[in-house]
Amino acid sequence: MSNLLHFSEHTLQEVALVLMATVYFLRIRWFLKWPLGKERQPATGLGDTNPKKGERYSLGLIAKPWAMESTRSKPFMYAQFVVFHLGVIASISLSFIIPYGPGLLKSAAFVSVIQVLVGAAFIVGVMRIIRRISNPYIRAISSPDDHFSLILLTSWFAFAFLAAPNDISGGEGTMLTYFLLTAFFLMYVPFSKISHYLYYPFTRTYLGRHFGRRGVFPLRRKPAYQVSK
Amino acid sequence: MSSTKNERSYKAQKVIDRMGQKLNRQMVGSLAACVHCGMCTDSCHYVLANPGDPTFAPAYKADKIRKLFKHHYDWTGKVFPKWVKAGSVYTDEELHELKDIVFGKCTNCRRCTVNCPMGVDLATFNRMARGLLCYVGIMPEGVEYVAKEQWEIGNQMGVLKEDYIETIQWQEEELQSEMEDPTAKIPIDKPDSNIVYVINPREIKHDPRSILDAAKIFYAAGEDYTMPSEGWDMTNFGLFNGDDELGGAVAGRVYDKVDELRGKKLVISECGHGYRSTRCEGPNWAKKDITFDAESSVITMLSYIKQGKIKVDKSKNPGSYTFHDSCNNARSCGLTEEPRELLSLVVENFQEMYPNRAENFCCTGGGGAMSMAEYRPSRLKSAKIKADQLSATRAKTVVTSCHNCVDGLTDLIGHYKLGMDVTQLVNLVANALVVDGIVEENKKKYAEKEEVSSGASQ
Repeated sequence: MSNLLHFSEHTLQEVALVLMATVYFLRIRWFLKWPLGKERQPATGLGDTNPKKGERYSLGLIAKPWAMESTRSKPFMYAQFVVFHLGVIASISLSFIIPYGPGLLKSAAFVSVIQVLVGAAFIVGVMRIIRRISNPYIRAISSPDDHFSLILLTSWFAFAFLAAPNDISGGEGTMLTYFLLTAFFLMYVPFSKISHYLYYPFTRTYLGRHFGRRGVFPLRRKPAYQVSK
Repeated sequence: MSSTKNERSYKAQKVIDRMGQKLNRQMVGSLAACVHCGMCTDSCHYVLANPGDPTFAPAYKADKIRKLFKHHYDWTGKVFPKWVKAGSVYTDEELHELKDIVFGKCTNCRRCTVNCPMGVDLATFNRMARGLLCYVGIMPEGVEYVAKEQWEIGNQMGVLKEDYIETIQWQEEELQSEMEDPTAKIPIDKPDSNIVYVINPREIKHDPRSILDAAKIFYAAGEDYTMPSEGWDMTNFGLFNGDDELGGAVAGRVYDKVDELRGKKLVISECGHGYRSTRCEGPNWAKKDITFDAESSVITMLSYIKQGKIKVDKSKNPGSYTFHDSCNNARSCGLTEEPRELLSLVVENFQEMYPNRAENFCCTGGGGAMSMAEYRPSRLKSAKIKADQLSATRAKTVVTSCHNCVDGLTDLIGHYKLGMDVTQLVNLVANALVVDGIVEENKKKYAEKEEVSSGASQ
């Protein structure tokens, strides 16, 4: 292994992680400085929900595609979301496994699992790029950051797929590109929309608390109780 | 005053400064978290009625507000403005363009909110943007007029106190005549009552029958209630124009009157935005914790039937009925099951509308849209979605618990020639009332009360 690859796998990643953590810390601190809107209204609803239950329901919606019309009516979009995010998890994990636990990659089955996850995510990424360009609604709302973030992640998946076997016998180019992309990704994320997961727990908790107090969450689609005789 | 790009107009600067004062953490989360996934797009009735036009998409509309936030309050937008689509406003013309989006292309129905995977509450910051524009006097003329009436006269239709009292007295006479009981009353400002009943000024101006129907139900239930002579308007244009100060003042008048009368419970007649404003948002705007119970008249009527205080005969309401959920009732206050349960007790043939409850589509008259004449053509075009929903039920009558929805639905039913009637639960419950024996009982109670009070005065 060349010094450059070793540097990319270790020092560069560590620096990128520290930078990402620092910017995240500043971002959360900035966010928490905004005053929290106070809710004074007495709770409404049928009594079978409350702010806490609303919060749990709201946070759990990510795993309940049937609960929201937007995900219920577009199961393929929801499946894409799942595949894409599993690919992100697999690719991030790979960036730690290669330098710190390469033994795991001696298992062909494990390598295959990683490759299936990031490979599927790559396909979804390509589909999303096409959708972002061809769908007039999505194109109209897209910023340069939206396009760049998607292209960055999709390329990253491609190199993760190639890097998963952890084999540099044919040259270090693929591995080096994967780690350079990972480092760039880590440093870019806090400044881009990819950092949405930082806000997710807050937005969903606040909305869930609000709608839980008002008896809206959990959403009802069937009669909530027996109609009187 | 207009301005060039190099210098910002007075109003544009005011809007930007005011934004910083109105933002809270929930709103900042919603402004920062959107990933432009587009999942909200199909949830909006404006989008569905205008296929191919992305300017109606919730995320597109939200970005017109979001860009200001990013440019002035989010440091990513300050550092890389073009990269994240941050931008500012410089001229009054740009503010007017924003007005056409936040007032003319969104009814604040919150359907996109409940369909956003990230939990972005567009309606809440759209309302904030309306408030920013109203702060500098940029708003639809109808909104300005109604808000002024509510600030100055105390109700959104400019009903004078004399006219209000006279209408109540007229309905009291109607009650006495219909019940054949000269002792039947609609009390005004009666202290220590169980219920203080507040209404929508539309009931005084255009629909006094609903006051009579409510009075008949209270009469049949033997309820100890009163209507206040002031602070009786439970509607609140502060919800529509984003003015928290107006919202707090209007809701505060109602709360203060209930306190003054020492009422035990505030009952709010059927009105979606009135219920939301008075029951839910009012304490926040008025910065006051209310000390009495408050409920929708739908819940009151349902409890009367369940407790046996009134008897109803559903065969008195023949025909087929469907129910339209008011956005404010269903999506912002969780009032979805009680109206259905009540409806099932007073009509024989009920057809559910799809989608329904918190997924229902707006009547398209929400968010104050009925007072914005300039956007009527666009509103009625977007009403195609609701019209299709209504006609799919094949019901003859649509029931709703909202005066605003009554007007919105009536307008679209006429426009799309659906030939349906619109009514409210109070009308159906009053029509289904079984009053045999109640009149005699009430007359007896009245005579006993009179005897006690004359004995006390001697």
